[in-house]
Amino acid sequence: MRSWSKALVGGFAVALAVAGCAGSGSGNDSAGQTSAPSGPRTLTVWLMNGSAPTTLTDELHKEFQASHKDVTVKYEIQQWNGIQDKLTTALASNDAPDVIEIGNTQAPKFASENVLEDLTASTGDFNGANWLSSLKDSGSWDGKQYAIPFYAANREILYRKDLFEQAGITAPPTSREEWLAAIGKLKAKFGSDPDFQALYLPGQNWYTLLSFIWDEGGDIAKKDGTKFTASLDSAEAKAGLEFYKKLVEESGTKAPKDADEQTPEQAGIYGGGKVAMFVALPWELATAAKSDPTIKDKTGAFPIPSKTAGKTAPVFQGGSNLAVPANSKDKDLAKEYLKLISSDKYQAGFAKAGMIPGTSKDVSLLEADPINAAMAKASANGKAVPATPGWATIEAGQNPIKDLLTAYLTGAKSIDQATKDANDALNKAFSS
Amino acid sequence: MTSTVDTARPAGTPPPAARPGARRRARRPLSETALPYLMLAPAVLLMLALLAWPALQVLAISFRKLDLGELVRGELKWVGFDNYTAILTDPEFWVIGLRTLMFTAVVVLTTLLLGLGIAVLMRHLSGWVRVVLQVCLVLAWATPIIATTTIFQWIFDQQYGILNKTLVLIGFDSFKGYSWFTSGTSTLAVIGLLVVWQAVPFIAFTLYAGLVNTPRDLYEAAAIDGASGWAAFRAVSWPSVRPLLTLVTFLSVLWDFKVFTQVWAIRQGGPDGQSTTLPVLLYLRGIAGSHFGVAAAVAVLMLVVLLAVTWRYMRLLIRSPETEL
Repeated sequence: MRSWSKALVGGFAVALAVAGCAGSGSGNDSAGQTSAPSGPRTLTVWLMNGSAPTTLTDELHKEFQASHKDVTVKYEIQQWNGIQDKLTTALASNDAPDVIEIGNTQAPKFASENVLEDLTASTGDFNGANWLSSLKDSGSWDGKQYAIPFYAANREILYRKDLFEQAGITAPPTSREEWLAAIGKLKAKFGSDPDFQALYLPGQNWYTLLSFIWDEGGDIAKKDGTKFTASLDSAEAKAGLEFYKKLVEESGTKAPKDADEQTPEQAGIYGGGKVAMFVALPWELATAAKSDPTIKDKTGAFPIPSKTAGKTAPVFQGGSNLAVPANSKDKDLAKEYLKLISSDKYQAGFAKAGMIPGTSKDVSLLEADPINAAMAKASANGKAVPATPGWATIEAGQNPIKDLLTAYLTGAKSIDQATKDANDALNKAFSS
Repeated sequence: MTSTVDTARPAGTPPPAARPGARRRARRPLSETALPYLMLAPAVLLMLALLAWPALQVLAISFRKLDLGELVRGELKWVGFDNYTAILTDPEFWVIGLRTLMFTAVVVLTTLLLGLGIAVLMRHLSGWVRVVLQVCLVLAWATPIIATTTIFQWIFDQQYGILNKTLVLIGFDSFKGYSWFTSGTSTLAVIGLLVVWQAVPFIAFTLYAGLVNTPRDLYEAAAIDGASGWAAFRAVSWPSVRPLLTLVTFLSVLWDFKVFTQVWAIRQGGPDGQSTTLPVLLYLRGIAGSHFGVAAAVAVLMLVVLLAVTWRYMRLLIRSPETEL
C-alpha cells in the first residue's frame, strides 16, 4: 500500500510539472502577425463536401488568382463527419485555414469563443444589405458579426400530383384548413388501401414543429443580449404542438412516433409509392427516385401552409456560414476572398445549384425549377434556432424538442408536463 | 512485496551495482546488470508515450478551464478543483453514475451466465451441431458494432419492426405500434441486449477453451463415483473455468462500463436523457459542448470508479504474479 500511495503522489507531481511545460510552450503564438508577407502567398480555403459546385469554385478561384498576383488558392473539401473536431484542432494550430465554412447551428459556438475574426466593419463589402436574416443571426454574437451567410435550404411539402388529381384536389393547399381538407379527400379516395398514407410525418420531425410554433407567433426561446430563455411552455408553442398532433391523427400516418425523418429514411418510404405527401428538403426527391425513377415526374411541391390563408408558414433554415479564423495568417486576403464569393455573380451559382443564396436576394434561378420554387417562396420567412453556444449539445443529439414530441404524441405526458420538461431541459442546455 | 522490489525498480534508476560496497550483486559488471533494462527500455518508453502521457494530460486538463477559446488561444487557466466541484455537485452526475454502475452490473452478469451456459453446451454438443453454433457465434462477434446496432434499431422499430409484428402475430395485440424507446429503462434494456449479444461469443469461447483443457478422465472418474451432472460441473468443470471466469469478469466490467457507441447510436442517451451513461456525459460535455476541462474531470472520476470496482482483482494481479492465471 505504501509504495502505491508514493507512486500516486509521484505521478501527480509529474503530471503537474509536465502540464506546466506544455502550456508555456504552446501559448502566445497568435500575436503580431497581421501584416501580410510579400512574395508568393497561399490562401487556404475549407469548404464542405456538397456545398459549392466544382464549376463555381473553379471559376471563382481562377478569377481570384487573376486579380491577386502571387496568390495561390489552396482549396480543400472537408467532410461533414467529424468536422467539429477537425475545425477545433485546425483553429488551434499555427497553420490554420484562412477561410472556413461552418454549419449554421455550430456557428454560435465558434463565434462566442472569440476564435473567429470580427467581420462587423466589413459587412458592406460582403453584400450586407441582402443577407439572409436567419444566417445573419447564426453568425452574430453579442452584437458583432463573426461569420457571414453562405447558403441555406428549408423544408417544403413534396406531394404526388397524380394522386392529388385522382382525389379531386385541383390546387395545392394554401392554408392549414385546405391542407387538412386535402388529407381528408386523399383518405376518402385511397383509404381502402391499408398501406396508404396521405401524409408521412414521423413523430420527431421537430423542424416541422418549429414552423407551426413560429406560425402561431411563438418561438423556441426569448433573446436578451447573449442570454436565451426557453419559451416552449408558451400558449403559442402549445398551439403549434397541438396542430402537429392533429396532423398526425387526421392523416393516420404510420411513421414511428419515437424517431425522426432519418430513421427510417423518409424519402425511401415516399419512393415506395404509397405516400401522398411528406415534409422534406428539395433534394430528397432524388433519393426517392432511387427506389422509383418515375416518381420524379409525378411529384410537385408547395410551401408549408400558414394558419393565415394565402401566407406561407415560417421555416427553419439550415445552411452554412463563412468565417475567417482568428489564427489566419492573411486575414485581409481572406476578406477579399469573402468579398468575391459573396458577390451576386457567384451567389447566383448557388441558386442555380438549388440552394438559397446567403448574400443575395435574387432567387429567380431557383424559381425556374418547380420543386425549388416552393422552397424559394417560403425562404423569405426563414428562421434559425437560438444562436447560443448551448445549442451545440442539442445539435449533437440530445434534443429536448424531439423528446417533447414523442412524449406528447404517445400520450406519455400531458401537454403542460411535456412542454415544461422540454423548457427546463433547454434552459439547462443554454446555461451549460 | 519485498521479493518483488528488484524487478519493480524503474528503468531510469541507477542499478545498485554502481555504488561501491553495496550488496553481493555489486561485483557483477555494470553492462550485464543494465542489459535487461536496456532491452526493456524501447517497450517501456513506447508504453509511457502512448499510455502514460495521455493519461497524465487528462489528469492535468481536469484541473484547467479549457473551452474552445482557451484551446485555440493556447491559454493556461488553472482552476484547481472547480471542474470536480461542478460535476460532483450536479445531482445529474450521481443519477447517471448510479445508472451506469447498474447497467454494467446487469450486462456483465447476463453476459457471463449466457457465456458460461453456451460454453458448457458446446462441450456437450458434438459434430456438426457444435460447428454450426460456433460459426454463428463467430459471425455475431465479427459483425461490426454499428451494423449490429442498425439491425437492432430495425428490429425494435415502432411501425416496421419485426419484433412488434411477430408479437402481434402470435396474439399479443397490445404490441401493435408499441414504442420501445419511450422510457429510459426500456431503452437501456434494448441497449443491454445489444451489448450482451456482441459480448457473449468472446466469453463463451474463452470459457470453452478452459473446459476443453479439462481431461475427460476426470469426468469419467466423477461419473464412476456416481456424481450427478451438477456435481460433476462443480467438482470438475468449475475449478478449471474459475480463473478464466475471473479474468473475463474483469475484462467485461472494463468494456461494459465504458461502452459508448451502442448507447449513442440507439437514442443518443434519450429520451429525456434517461439512457445517458457516463461515457455519453463525457461526450456531451467534452466533444459536443467543448468544455474539455469538465470532460477530463468526468474521465478521471470514471477511472476512480473503475479502480474501486476492480480493486480486488487488481490486488490479486499485483500481489501474486504467479497465480493460476
